[in-house]
Amino acid sequence: MSGKFSSLPGEIYMLHILHNIGATSPERALTLEEIARWTAMDPLEAEINLRKLLKDRYISVEETLGVKRYFVTADGIRKVLSMYS
Amino acid sequence: MWICCNITGHLLVIFMNICMLSWEYPPRIVGGISRHCQGLARALAKMGHTVYLITLDFPGAPYYEEDEGVRVYRTAIELGHPNFIVWVLLFNHFMEKKVAMLSKQEKFEVIHAHDWLVAPASISSKHYLGAPLISTIHSTEVGRSRGLHNPDSYLIDGLEWWLTYESKRIIVISNSMRQEVREHFRLPDEKIDVIPNAIDSSKYEIRVDRDDVKRRFGIDSSERIVLFIGRLVPQKGVEYLIMATPKIIEKHPEARVVIVGNGWSKDYLLNLASSIGCQHKVLFLGFLSDQDLIELTLSSDVLVIPSIYEPFGIVALEGMAAGVPIVASNTGGLAEIIEHDKTGFLAYKENPDSIAYGVNKILSDPGYASWLVQNAKRKIREVYSWDAVARKTVETYEKALRE
Repeated sequence: MSGKFSSLPGEIYMLHILHNIGATSPERALTLEEIARWTAMDPLEAEINLRKLLKDRYISVEETLGVKRYFVTADGIRKVLSMYS
Repeated sequence: MWICCNITGHLLVIFMNICMLSWEYPPRIVGGISRHCQGLARALAKMGHTVYLITLDFPGAPYYEEDEGVRVYRTAIELGHPNFIVWVLLFNHFMEKKVAMLSKQEKFEVIHAHDWLVAPASISSKHYLGAPLISTIHSTEVGRSRGLHNPDSYLIDGLEWWLTYESKRIIVISNSMRQEVREHFRLPDEKIDVIPNAIDSSKYEIRVDRDDVKRRFGIDSSERIVLFIGRLVPQKGVEYLIMATPKIIEKHPEARVVIVGNGWSKDYLLNLASSIGCQHKVLFLGFLSDQDLIELTLSSDVLVIPSIYEPFGIVALEGMAAGVPIVASNTGGLAEIIEHDKTGFLAYKENPDSIAYGVNKILSDPGYASWLVQNAKRKIREVYSWDAVARKTVETYEKALRE
């Protein structure tokens, strides 16, 4: 990531990207594969980071027809925005 | 707009349509701007002005609502981008679109922007609506980041300058910010008005069962709460409170440091508490609802505000209104709100020993704690009400309309 926070931990970098691209509601949730592409992470690395974010409740997951999609929660939004206010 | 003349022949605005832009408004609460905008907008609406508050959407919040007379419009951000600055510019586009749509039905007399995050939308709106722009600068990038260290910071600094340049009048929340903004952006002093933050102290006029509140948060009833409220970011100086904890518990083993808030430094702070062996005495509660926060504050024994950079420090007003003695860094707006040894204890900045000394003094001497609380409550009543702040803000609007 360029700019202000170039040395963020992987999961926070991922949270940041998910927020900025608008994955902040169930309707705009993304699959693991889509997240891996947006963040340019290996899917396995992306999955590990997603697990960390889920544990901290910064993201939530919903499952439709067997496909899991992830989106940023209110706490996750606050976490990201705290960096810039 | 309704206008009349005073005895000197000056035009006075009675009621006006105010277009206020802020990237945060409750329940979207990131820093102090959210509560500031709500308090100010509600007080302006109470005076009879019509306030159109344009902000961003948030999970669970409606796209339109009336909040105690304030017309709140939450804008959906329909496009995103991984880069934060590009994201900001995109949401400004959607805010500007909302202002343009509203302006077809209403004529706005003034545009009021809160911080750089809404600068592009506010400046464009000023030009196409032909209304004066007033900006409140709550803090600066150079202050928050303690210098400009990368391209994003330089851009944010540039946007802040651009906003102050385009604004007819600038509002800052403390004298220290007046000096900072005047010198850093090279602004004429007469363009700047100091209007402090305020608080609705009636929220704290409730009775709480302290033992019950403590139990809810996993705190033993015998423990005394040393509270921190704020974002977990370096400018808030939480690390100095954590570093002060061993010296506090050495004198007061019944003390428990309770940290409320979230932010990107949280993991570092958790590790710091562990590395100095006091993780059992430092409790991280994360973000709390307003009601929980009020009840926890009322159940606390000391409120610590260890900020490194604090243009105002609205949390100090919250503690004063709640009747909790305060230990705060002797910096920025905090040093203007708190009179040392009268309405609180001012500790040296970035100094854990000084913080520990202040906390221990308050925990050891109930008479001293009570003296600080009585004086602080009196000051809140006399100086920091939203009605007073709204009246001063209207004076600034009137100056902008006259100039």
